[in-house]
Amino acid sequence: MTDTMVAVSGFAVMLALMAARMPIGLAMLVVGGAGYAWLGGWAVFLNYIKATPYHNFANYTLSVIPLFILMGALAEKSGLSTALFRAASALVGHFRGGLAMALIGACAAFGAICGSSVATTATFGRAALPEFQRYRYDPGFAAGTVAVGGTLGILIPPSVILVVYGISTEQNIAKLFMAALIPGLMAAAFYCAAIAWLVRRRPEIGAALPRASASETARAVRAAWPALLVAALVVGGIYGGVFAPTEAAAVGVIAMLTVAVGVGGMRWGGLKAALLQTAETTGMIFLILLGADVFNAFLALSQLPTAAAEWVTSAAWPPYLVIAILLGFYIVLSAIMDELAMILLTLPVFFPIVQALDLGLAPDEAAIWFGILVLIVVGVGLTAPPIGLNVFVVSAIARDVGLPKIYRAVLPFIGADLVRLGLVFAFPALALATVRLLT
Amino acid sequence: MGENGPVLRAARMIALAGASLALAAAALVTLSVTARWLTSRGVPGDFELVQMASAIAIFSFLPLTQLRSANILVDTFTRVLPPWVARALDGVWDLVYAAAAGLIAWRLALGAADALRSQTGTMVLLLPIGWAIAVCAALMAVLAVAGVLTAVGRWSVSREERS
Repeated sequence: MTDTMVAVSGFAVMLALMAARMPIGLAMLVVGGAGYAWLGGWAVFLNYIKATPYHNFANYTLSVIPLFILMGALAEKSGLSTALFRAASALVGHFRGGLAMALIGACAAFGAICGSSVATTATFGRAALPEFQRYRYDPGFAAGTVAVGGTLGILIPPSVILVVYGISTEQNIAKLFMAALIPGLMAAAFYCAAIAWLVRRRPEIGAALPRASASETARAVRAAWPALLVAALVVGGIYGGVFAPTEAAAVGVIAMLTVAVGVGGMRWGGLKAALLQTAETTGMIFLILLGADVFNAFLALSQLPTAAAEWVTSAAWPPYLVIAILLGFYIVLSAIMDELAMILLTLPVFFPIVQALDLGLAPDEAAIWFGILVLIVVGVGLTAPPIGLNVFVVSAIARDVGLPKIYRAVLPFIGADLVRLGLVFAFPALALATVRLLT
Repeated sequence: MGENGPVLRAARMIALAGASLALAAAALVTLSVTARWLTSRGVPGDFELVQMASAIAIFSFLPLTQLRSANILVDTFTRVLPPWVARALDGVWDLVYAAAAGLIAWRLALGAADALRSQTGTMVLLLPIGWAIAVCAALMAVLAVAGVLTAVGRWSVSREERS
């Protein structure tokens, strides 16, 4: 068997194990380890894991992932996420479907604090679903909106996915965060447009709330402003070049903790809950990162990534067609695979291909633009059937709704995402303009 | 192994300690950024302290994640299985995870011994990284124990479900 054949069989075995309920990170770890030992010999593999697992996690840039998750958990446990939602619903709740739009707005603001889509979905699933129920929103529509709103956790910077993309492709993470701004805001706007269209067709799914009085609105907005201030500090600090991303995450965590204790009345019990929730979410992400590191070491040993890149470049297809094919492949793959695992496993193969294409952009601009396209596709994958992680998270909270109903509710939003993907694909400036402006 | 079993409680304590370490690292970086503004010099060695804290914190989270069954898995293709079969299968994967964690714990322990023997230190503060690796090795050993316990727990539930 040639080395590339070993790698391809490794992929197949790994997917089979995943389909048989093996945790995704573990499947990558086990198959990657076995493949590595097969190609390189056991002694080499045993030597490889003597220090590499430590050094891969002892990474300054990677430390932003637990910190951006902790910041979100602190905001949730101190009631700031609820305050964001209340403020948004006081402002726009009186429109038809307004509560759903308020949720999108609150998720977008929370997305500037939290870097994880799962955490954002869980946070607003708990904070917002009872409100939707109270105002008799259609349960499927409400749950679908939460699942979609949760993707704003990664679409609006900071973003775990962009951090991972930046580390595995050696790109500047601050620039990736800048590039994500306009596409992220477009996502929020497009989702609101989709909601407006849906409630126009079926007004019964999202009734208008009674208009909040001026004093109620003022009170609600006042309660939310500390969260917005921290968000502005973090994102503004990165964009203004004041902080590196790790510094922004650290300062943001301390600022959020100060706000949580000072304004939100957080005590040891709340802090403990936030720390434990962060531990669980981070542990889940890092088992996948650990597995992917080992699997990618195996892939590199097999030379499959270089072979694939050579094969595609020698085929001499039009560069933009190649990008379109890669994105199409991602959309299919993300429907059946965990998105974080997907990008970790495919980037070693795809990224050299992208870098070899002549797209009429500078290499780092092409890398950033492709990163934003991948991010949009990941957002789709998080909500699209049959395996949409955000939908799973929502359905675990809204137990009475049922997956098929949520998936049906999510479809119009996926349409909005595909339009956005097309626009950013056709106009790379949507991603790159902010980078050019700010650097 | 209930919500408050001794093992889960221990895993919670470990994860809390790790998360507090991450919080402390955040405080250190904030201090360093502030110091850099005021005196144009940051805290020396903050970079490597964050690296160490982040590795130890992350390894400390894995046992809790395992005990709470929070790792992502795909259950789409196995919905047709009776619950007790799915649970028994999960127990098998727990055991595989335990074996992998045990292997990594063993290798990291050797790596730690190597680093201590060669007195490998960090760039600025010359901290011996062998100790940090040793802590991570111990945490992987805890993870291996957690994996065995979850497997045993799942199999006993699975047996009850079958009968």
